[in-house]
Amino acid sequence: MNLLSFAVKNLQRRKGRTLLTIAGVAIAVAILFSLLSFSAGYERELTREMDSLGFHLLAVPKGCPYEATTLILHGGVIPKYLTNEDLARARATDGVAIAAPMLLQQVTKDGTPHIVYGIEPAVMLPLKPAWKVNGRFFSANETRVMVIGSTLAEKENLAAGSVIPFGPAQEQFTIIGVLQPTGSEDDNFHFLPLADAQRTFGKVGLITAIAVRADDVKHIPRIAEDLEKVPDIQVVTMAQVTGTIMNLVGSARSLLFSVIVIAIVISAAGITNTLLMSVNERTREIGMMKAIGASGHHIGILLIAETLLITTLGGIIGILAALAGSGIIETFVRELIPYAPSGSFVSFDPLLIGGCLLFSIGLGLLCGIYPAWKSARLSPMEAIRGEWE
Amino acid sequence: MSIIEATGICKTYQRGREDVCALRGVNLTIEAGEFVTIVGPSGAGKTALLNILGCLDTPSCGTLAIDGVPVTGKGEAELVKIRREHIGFVFQQFFLIPTLTVGENVGLPLIFSGSPYDRQKIESLLEKVGLSHRAEHFPGQLSGGEMQRVAIARALVNNPRILLADEPTGNLDSITADGIYRLFEELHRQGITVIVVTHNRELAQRAGRVITIRDGLVNGGC
Ligand SMILES: Nc1ncnc2c1ncn2[C@@H]1O[C@H](COP(=O)(O)OP(=O)(O)O)[C@@H](O)[C@H]1O
Ligand SMILES: [Mg+2]
Repeated sequence: MNLLSFAVKNLQRRKGRTLLTIAGVAIAVAILFSLLSFSAGYERELTREMDSLGFHLLAVPKGCPYEATTLILHGGVIPKYLTNEDLARARATDGVAIAAPMLLQQVTKDGTPHIVYGIEPAVMLPLKPAWKVNGRFFSANETRVMVIGSTLAEKENLAAGSVIPFGPAQEQFTIIGVLQPTGSEDDNFHFLPLADAQRTFGKVGLITAIAVRADDVKHIPRIAEDLEKVPDIQVVTMAQVTGTIMNLVGSARSLLFSVIVIAIVISAAGITNTLLMSVNERTREIGMMKAIGASGHHIGILLIAETLLITTLGGIIGILAALAGSGIIETFVRELIPYAPSGSFVSFDPLLIGGCLLFSIGLGLLCGIYPAWKSARLSPMEAIRGEWE
Repeated sequence: MSIIEATGICKTYQRGREDVCALRGVNLTIEAGEFVTIVGPSGAGKTALLNILGCLDTPSCGTLAIDGVPVTGKGEAELVKIRREHIGFVFQQFFLIPTLTVGENVGLPLIFSGSPYDRQKIESLLEKVGLSHRAEHFPGQLSGGEMQRVAIARALVNNPRILLADEPTGNLDSITADGIYRLFEELHRQGITVIVVTHNRELAQRAGRVITIRDGLVNGGC
C-alpha cells in the first residue's frame, strides 16, 4: 500500500458521489474535446473543399459578392453577367494559367432546384483532375448532351444513356456520362457544354463567372488586383471565402465555447465542493492520521491525489465518450453551423487528446488545492478530542 | 534519564472570548518502561495533558522533554517527526479506515513514515494482538474490542517507545476492556512505556502508577 492506493481506497468509500463527480468531469471534457477537434477538423475540411474547387479565384460581375460566395459553395445564380470580352481580358492577364468561363443556371424539377453548369471541357477538366467519368465527357461543340454528378444520378435514377427532357424548352438531352463521387458539391450538378448551355437558356455570349487558376499561388494577390481593374469584374478569392465562413463559424463557436466554459465551471465547483465535503467528514480521521505520523504534506498530497484520480479518470472517459459519440455530435454540430463542408470533420489528433488530458489534470490541481491546503493545516487534536467539542 | 519529563505545564484554551484553563502547572516525570494510568473526573484536563505529552498540542507554558530532548518551542514539522519515531496513539473511537483491510489499517503509519511496507511486521503485530486470522477482514466485520486491538497494532507499527491511549476502553464492555488491559500489561512487560487515560479506577489500579488529575492539577505527587 502507498499514498496512491490509499487515495483510491478513500474514493471507494463514497462510490456514488465519486462516480457522479467523475461523470461531471467527463461531460465537461467530452464537450471540450469534441468542440476543439471539430473546429480543427472543420478548418481542415473547409480548406480541402476549397482546394478541390481547383481554382484560386473567381471573377464575377460587379456587385454580386454574396451571390458569388454561395455560388462557390453550393452553386447558385447570379442575375448579372460577364462577356467574352471579360474572358479575353482575364486570359490575357499575367500569371493566369487557366481561365475557365462558366454559365450557371437553375432549373426546377418536381419542386427541387437543380444547378446547371455550362463549361468548356478543354479548360475545366484540367482544373478538376479528380474527376472520373463513367461514360464519356462531352467536347465543346456537342449539343443536347450532359454529364451529371453521382448524387444527382442516384437521386434521379439516371445513368449514362438516359434521355431526359431539359431546359426551358424541355428539349431531349442525352446523359453521356456520370461523374464518380467526388465528395464535393459537384456531385449534385448538371454539366453542359458552355455554348449549348448559352443556347438552351437564351444567354448567348454571356458568362456567370470565370474560374481562374494562377500559375503560382504567390501571384494570386496580383492577379486579383489586375482583374479588379476590368470595369465589369469583381474578384472573390478562395481565401476571402474561407475567411468569411470562418467568421460565421467563429460566432457559432464562441457560443459553444460559452457553453463549455459554463460546463467546466460547474464541474469545477462540483469537484471542489465534493472534496470540501469529504474533508469535513474526515476531519477527525485526518487528525488521527496526523497523530499516527502523517505530516500536513502527506494529507495535502493525499487530497490532491484523490482529486487527480477523479479528474484524470473523468478526462479519459470524456475523451473516449467524445470519440465514440463523435458521429452523433457531428450531426448536432452540423445543425448549428452556417456552412458544413461535405467531408467528416471528426479528427483523432493525438495532440488534442494529450491536451485534454493535461486540462483534466490541471482542473484537478486547481480544484484540489484549496481543500488540500485546508486539510493539511487541520489540527491533529481534532481526532483525539471528544465528540462534544 | 526519564523518557518523559514535564515541568510546569499549563494549557489555556480560547472558548469565544473566555479563556479556559485546562492545565495549571503540571509536573510529571515518567521513566522508560513504566505503565502509568491517568484518572480524574471529566473535564479535569486528562486529554489536554495526554495531547501535550504526545506532541499533538503545545503547552501554553512549561517545558517538556521526550527521551531527554526538549520539544517545547519546536515547529509542527519537528513534532510530526517526534510523534512518528517515539509515540504510538490509541483513541477511544478506534478511527479505523473502513475501506482498508485490518492489515492495511495496521500498515497505514508506514506510508507516512516512509518505511517499507513490511507485511511480515504487520502480520507479527496482528499475531501479538491476537488477530492474525482477521488480516483480510474489514473493520466493519469486527467487534469493538477487536477494532481497538487493530488500533493498538497500528500504534505499534513504527516501533514507538511510548504508547499513549485516551480512554481506550471507554466504548467497550468490562470483559473486553479487561482483555485490552492485559494487552497493555503485555506491552509493558516487553518494555514499552504505556500511558493510559481512563475513567475506570478499578482498571487504573492495574498500572504500576496511578496519576490523579483534578482541575488541571496533578495531586498524588509526581
Ligand atoms: N479545544 C478546546 N477548546 C476549548 N476548551 C477546551 C478545549 N479542549 C479542552 N477544553 C476544556 O479544557 C478542559 C479539560 O478538557 P479535557 O482535557 O478534554 O478533559 P478530560 O479529558 O479530563 O475530560 C475542559 O474544561 C474542556 O472543556
Ligand atoms: Mg478526555
